[in-house]
Order: sequence, then C-alpha cells, then structure tokens
Amino acid sequence: MAADSSSSSFFRIGDEFNNTPTQPSATPSSSGPPPPPPPPPPPLPAKKKRNPGTPYPDAEVIALSPKTLMATNRFICEVCNKGFQREQNLQLHRRGHNLPWKLRQKNTKEVQRRKVYLCPEPTCVHHDPSRALGDLTGIKKHFCRKHGEKKWKCDKCSKRYAVQSDWKAHSKTCGTREYRCDCGTLFSRRDSFITHRAFCDALAQETSRLPTSLSSLYGNNNITSLQTQTHLRPFDIHQPQPQPMFFGGGSSNQIDQSLHGLMQQQQQQQQQLPELQSNQNSAAHLIMSSDQFSIGNGGGDHHHHHHQATNLFSGNSLLSDNTSGHMFNQQVMPQMSATALLQKAAQMGATTSSNTSSLFRGFSSSSKLDNETQLQNLMNCMLNPKPNDTLTRDFLGVGSMVRNMGGGSMSQRDHHHHLHHHQQQQQQQQQQQHQGMEMGSLDHSDMKSGGSSSRSFPGGSLL
Amino acid sequence: MTHDYMSFSPSTTSALGSPFSTPSTRELKSDERGIYLIQLLLRCAEQVSANSFDQTNQCLEHISMLASPTGDTVQRIASYFTHALALRVLSSWRGFYIVLNPPPPTPAESLAARRHFFDLCPFLRLSYMISNQAIMETMEGEKMIHIIDLSFSDPAQWVPLLHLLRDRKEGPPHLRITGINEHKQLLDHTALLLSEEAERLDISFQFNQVVSRLDNLDPSLVRIKTGEALAISSVLQLHCLLASDDDAAAARKGTPFLTSRNSCSIAQFHRIVQMSQGTLGELLEKDLLLNGYSMSPDSASSSPFGLPPAPKMERFLSWLCGLSPKVMVVAEQESNHNGFSMNERFMESLNYYAALFDCLESTMARPSAERMKVEKLVWGEEIRNIVACEGVERRERHEKLERWVQRMEMAGFGSVPLGYYTLLQARRLLQGFGCDGYKVREENGFLHLCWQDRSLFSVSAWRRRRFD
Repeated sequence: MAADSSSSSFFRIGDEFNNTPTQPSATPSSSGPPPPPPPPPPPLPAKKKRNPGTPYPDAEVIALSPKTLMATNRFICEVCNKGFQREQNLQLHRRGHNLPWKLRQKNTKEVQRRKVYLCPEPTCVHHDPSRALGDLTGIKKHFCRKHGEKKWKCDKCSKRYAVQSDWKAHSKTCGTREYRCDCGTLFSRRDSFITHRAFCDALAQETSRLPTSLSSLYGNNNITSLQTQTHLRPFDIHQPQPQPMFFGGGSSNQIDQSLHGLMQQQQQQQQQLPELQSNQNSAAHLIMSSDQFSIGNGGGDHHHHHHQATNLFSGNSLLSDNTSGHMFNQQVMPQMSATALLQKAAQMGATTSSNTSSLFRGFSSSSKLDNETQLQNLMNCMLNPKPNDTLTRDFLGVGSMVRNMGGGSMSQRDHHHHLHHHQQQQQQQQQQQHQGMEMGSLDHSDMKSGGSSSRSFPGGSLL
Repeated sequence: MTHDYMSFSPSTTSALGSPFSTPSTRELKSDERGIYLIQLLLRCAEQVSANSFDQTNQCLEHISMLASPTGDTVQRIASYFTHALALRVLSSWRGFYIVLNPPPPTPAESLAARRHFFDLCPFLRLSYMISNQAIMETMEGEKMIHIIDLSFSDPAQWVPLLHLLRDRKEGPPHLRITGINEHKQLLDHTALLLSEEAERLDISFQFNQVVSRLDNLDPSLVRIKTGEALAISSVLQLHCLLASDDDAAAARKGTPFLTSRNSCSIAQFHRIVQMSQGTLGELLEKDLLLNGYSMSPDSASSSPFGLPPAPKMERFLSWLCGLSPKVMVVAEQESNHNGFSMNERFMESLNYYAALFDCLESTMARPSAERMKVEKLVWGEEIRNIVACEGVERRERHEKLERWVQRMEMAGFGSVPLGYYTLLQARRLLQGFGCDGYKVREENGFLHLCWQDRSLFSVSAWRRRRFD
C-alpha cells in the first residue's frame, strides 16, 4: 500500500490549491472517513454516496458530445420554439398553448440505475469510464472549467472563470474577507493563512532580534551625512566613459583617487550621477548641493580642495566610523567582504614563488562578487592609467585567473583591462559572467573542467 | 600630489594618504591587511603540505599577529584556518597532539551553536522548509507516514512539519519518526519536544530512536512497517559516510596518510583513470547494486565517471533505496572539501567559509556572542576537520551537488524536481528574513541556497527510480 506514486514533479500542488476541489484527489489513496452525507434524499431508496475514487460497477455510463453537454436548452417547444432546460418546464409551457402535456414522474417502481457521465474531452482523466463523474451538472461544470474558455472575469481582481456560478461565488467573497499576516502577505483562505502563519510566527520572533535590513539603515545614514556635508561634484576618474560611483559607500581609496583625478583634470564635466544605495531623494540632494557648492577653480585652490576633501572624509568617517549602536557600520560598503578580498588577492597574483601563484590560480572563482564590490575591487587596484594597448583582454571577466604571473606592471594592465571590461559587462546579466567564472576547483577527479582555457599550470604539481 | 597605487604589501601601509588622514588609512589598512593575510595563509598552507616545519612556524607566527577571532572577516577566517594548520602540523607528533589538541565541543554546546546557526542564517531554515514541502507534496493522501532522519537533533526541522500535517486538508496522518544520532541525549531531548508539540496539535506521533553513527549503523535497528509511506531526510549529514571509505582505500594501498599523501593522491588519480576504462563491467555491476546486492570492496569503484570510490557510501545508499522511500531529501554543503590533497581542500574551504563568514559579518555585530559561537563551534570545527584531519577522522567530506547526483543515481535514485511552488515559498521565507544577500536559485530541479551568487548549500529530492 505504500506504493510510491509516480508524481514526477511537485508542481501539482499549486494547482490543487487554486481549484476549488470538487473532484476527488488524483492519487488513489487508502480509504479514510467518508465525506459527510448529502442532504436528505428524495423519497427513494437512498442511493448511498460512496467514497470518491471507487467507481460503481453497475452504473450506466453516459457519454454526451460537447454540443449536447453544453446545450442550454434541450427541450424546445414545437409551437413557439422556446427553449427549456428541463422537460418539466417545457410541459408546463405547453399548457399555455393548449397542447396535451404530461408531467413525467420519476419512475419509483424500478430501482433507478445509477448514471455516470463521461467528459467528452479525450485527454481528460474523466474520459475514462472508470473515472466517470456521477452528476450531470457536475460534468457540465467540469467540462466548462477545465476545457472551456474563461469568459467571466472578476472586476476586483484579475481572476477569470469559465463557469458563471464560480464567478458569482468568487465576486461575492473577493476582497471581503482577507487574512493578512504580519509579514504583509494576504490570504483569502483561512487554512493557507494558518499554515503560513505557523512559519511566519517563528520568523517574526527571529527577525525581531535581527537588525533591520541594511538598505534602510544605510539610506538614512546617507541622507543625514550628505545633508550635513553636501558638496562633492561627481568626478571623472581617468576614464572617458562615465562610471557609477558609489558615493560615500565607496572605500576611501576611491575617493582618494577621485579627488586625485579631479585635481589632475581641471574641467568639471558633469559625469554620471553617483549612485546611492537607496532613495532618489538623496541623489537629488546631492545634485542640488553639488550645484551650490562648486568645487572651485580646478586645481587652483588647494586649500579649498583640501577643505572639501577633509569634509568629505569626515563625512565618510561619519558613515563608516559611526559606532553609535547600529550594527552595520563598516560592513558591506566601506570594507570589502572576505570573498572580495580573496578575489583580489587572486588577481593581484603572488608576490612570491610560482608555487604560490599556482595556488592562487587555483582559487576557484566559484564565488562571485556582486557588482559593487567588484567595482571597488578594480578601482582599488587601478594604477596609473595606461592606454589600452594590444594586450589581449580578459573576456572572462573579473574573476578569471590572471594569466601572467609576471611582474607588477603586467598585473597593472590586466587590472586596467578588467576595469574596462568590467564596466561594459556590468550592465549585463551575471549569468554571462557565470560561465566564465565557474572554474572548477583543482580537484583531479572533478571531471567538469574549468571553463577557462587560459589556465596554465606552471609545470609543477599542484600538490 | 601624487598617489602611488602599488601592489599591496605591508611596507606601503603608511605611505598612503597624508592629507587624507585617518579614515582612509584605516580603511585601506583593513583591506590591505586582509589581502596580506590571505597571501600569508596560502603560503603557510603550502609550507605545511611541503612539511617545512621552520617556515611554517615563522608563517604562523606572522599570521597570528594579524589574525584574530574577534576582528573582521578575514581576520576571523585566518585565525580558524591557522589554528587548523597548526594542529595539522602538530598531529605528526602524536604525543603533543593528544595532549594539546583542544577537545571537541560537547553535544550540548554544538547543539546550542547549531541553534544559533539556525537563528542567524536562513540556510537551515530553508533546507528544513524545502524538505518539509517535498515531504508534504509526496505524502499527499497518505495516512501513515514514516520519516527516517539521519541526523535527528533539531526540533526546528520537524515542528513546522507537524503544523503542516495538522492543517492538511485530509487531516493529520499517523506520523512515525525514526531518529538516528550518535548522542543519546540529543535524541531524547528532541524527541521530547516533538512529542509535546504533537500532543498539543493532536497528531498521532510515535518516535523510535537509533543511537548510532551512520557508518556503523545496524540496518536491523531501523524497522519499516508495511503500509507506511517512507521519507528519508538527511541535512548536512550524508557526507560523513565518505570518511570510512578512506580507511579501506588506504589499506589497499598500504601507504600511511600524512607523509606521503602527495604521491598517494597521484596514484589514486591514475587508478581512477584506469578504472574509467572498464565501464561496461561497472555498468553491469550497477544493476546488481540496484537489487541491494552489496559489492565487495575490491571491485572498488562503481563509477566510470571519475568519482572516487566509496563502497561504504554506495552500500548505504543502496540500502536506503531498497527501502523504497517515497522521497529522500538531501541537503549538503555545496563545495568540494573532499579533495585528496590538503592544499586543494584548503583553497576550496577558504573560499567557501569566507562566504559563510561574510554572511554573518553583514548581519551581525562583531562582538556578538552568538556569532562567535557559530563561527567557532560550527564552522571552526568543520574547518579544523577539513584541514587538520585525515582518514577516518576527517568526517566533513563535503562534495558538490554534481557528485551527489552521481552517487544517488548510481544507487538507484531518480531525482524529483523541486517545484516552482517550493521555490516561491523559499523566496518568501527569505523576504521575511530580511537580509538582502541571501538568494535561492533553482537549477535542474535542485535548489541552491546562495549568498550573493555563491551557492553554499544544495537541496535535492530523490525517489526510487523505476526501470520500466
């Protein structure tokens, strides 16, 4: 009895929840307690309703064509061609035409043979006589619901229905009774709400202890310190293309460099707006304030710059050194994560022997960085700018292995390339980088070889 | 005013930033220090595997000046990894090792630490939720459910399942759980909590305990009744079985582990290559395997696909498959910490635990005691095991999902794709958790729990494959 059913996917369950189940469950399960008995039967030998999924062996199977099934008016008056759904109604109507009429009574003499109906749709489960349905209205509704076009639409939400009664039932309750969990999720059904809440209760307790999410906290921080500090015109950082600059969030190296760039270049082009983590408000503040606070005449006033710089840094320090109790200071933005540092160490190559460099190379870039830390990574590595020469670019992206473990100058240029390449790639999906970056570990028996053909072993064994 | 950005080396610490005083140098220093520490670590690992004691000694001293379990992420990682490296070197002096080797945490301590891990990171919670969801979906309509938990110690895994079962449309089933764990007190404690909860929810619940390690599990202790729907759950436990296979491999080769490990691994590599040429025979043997036939250890691998041989694991998995479970859910660390050479394992685990430590760094304050406990008693112990131990002692043999897939398929399991609904639930859970960096990714029907695109844990579901 513990036969494992052949459900190959777990997708079904979503379906089941959505459909108001009028049909028995698909898996032939063991018999449980029978469903509650139907309302008091008409004065006939009561036809006991058996458990769903157990067909009547002696039932009369009726297969109607779709047209017949969907026919609304099966009984037509021959006089005026008016259609009726029930024969009784037709007979009563015939009285009005003074036609002979007879109300046919249900035959109580013989035992009524059970009738079961088939769904005319051949691909349907209920097309099979062993899975026929016992009720004509039921089969009509089933056919409409499953194989019909959904013509009825709820006006409050976007749900569509093929059966008018379903639609009516839904619109009565749509929006009337909703359960809302603390986490903000809405439920229309009580059972799903309770199930969810069992989870969510647990979650709520945990999260109440955890600090609030990073961005809101940081965003507030940003705004306040920005407002007090203002200034900072977006900088040009050696590159002709504008770059997103992570103002305030970037490590101070970046700001160092940016100021350096500013001092070198006297023009003040309006570059791409510095991107902030959260609100646009703060960006707006920034723009406005940067207009007010012109950073003076190019390189002329060093004092002024200096002043700006220290303002900036004290602003930064406000952000980063703020120890007033919130938990994320110095976390994501100003300091690089360990994975970022590992990547950087790998890129920088070794300052030591080739053995170590092979170790570095083995640093699988299976860990990926998010864009921000990558960029910081690169910008930190960036040295004096050299024009792009004909060195081959590393199209595998940031995390690829550095090919030449040569001297420092090589790595400079590599990084430079990385930066360029990275900027271009930054907008693209990370999946692209994923292939390049998913270099397997140096496990011998790992048959999935790392994708980079540029990997070269410097002769020695890895061990 | 020129800025000189050079390759980072310790001598440049002070060179940067005169007018850009304190904050910049402080910031720079920590990143720079991080890089330096990493370089030192790698050099140290290299020296350890080359058995050069003096240089290792120097290196360790150097590192210990910079590393600290209460510092930033890289400092913390460095402290645990160097601790492991030092222990590894020490282990060749048996006497010293035995005396100085810090005792492992008591079961109560590791349970508490694991609880903190559950609280601070969503990974366990997600794994439990996905596994429960898979169980609920397969067990739809079943009246008698039997769950075998290979690492039964956490009530937080099963209490939500009890709730789900009670809210089931067709009413709660009769639930029986067989918990396997090597520590009796964990079993008792958890069982008690579960029974109370089941009582409260009015679910018919029965618990059987099996006090045993997985590798010497007596199959007869696990009793299956006819008419039950069986589910098996293994959360971060299955990899331990790979450890006992090492003993057999070493015995076959006859080489001691620590010293000539390098040559041993190359030899193993060659052996695997040879074995992969005999595919037909192995495929035939696979059939026997599926019927529960246990393979002799000498027939070595059943893998033509480059898997290192693991007869014990294979036997265990085939036994499990032979029980005909409706579903088996496996959650494992997604990283290869089972390489032959310590260096490989070192690098892999450095990357892996760096990501894990990053998780905590982004969500918890540095002085937090819970965070320290997780880092020290959960991950620190794993790191120690991966780096410092060898052979049977090295139980944290994490492997990547692709290997698990191969192993499961060879044992006769077919994968059951975890559906979209489960993925949605997982994402909803993460939303409730409130931290941005965690992600869930679906790949080939398996779910990966990630931190910022680095997959850290994989969850997969399996059932017995039919051959029709």
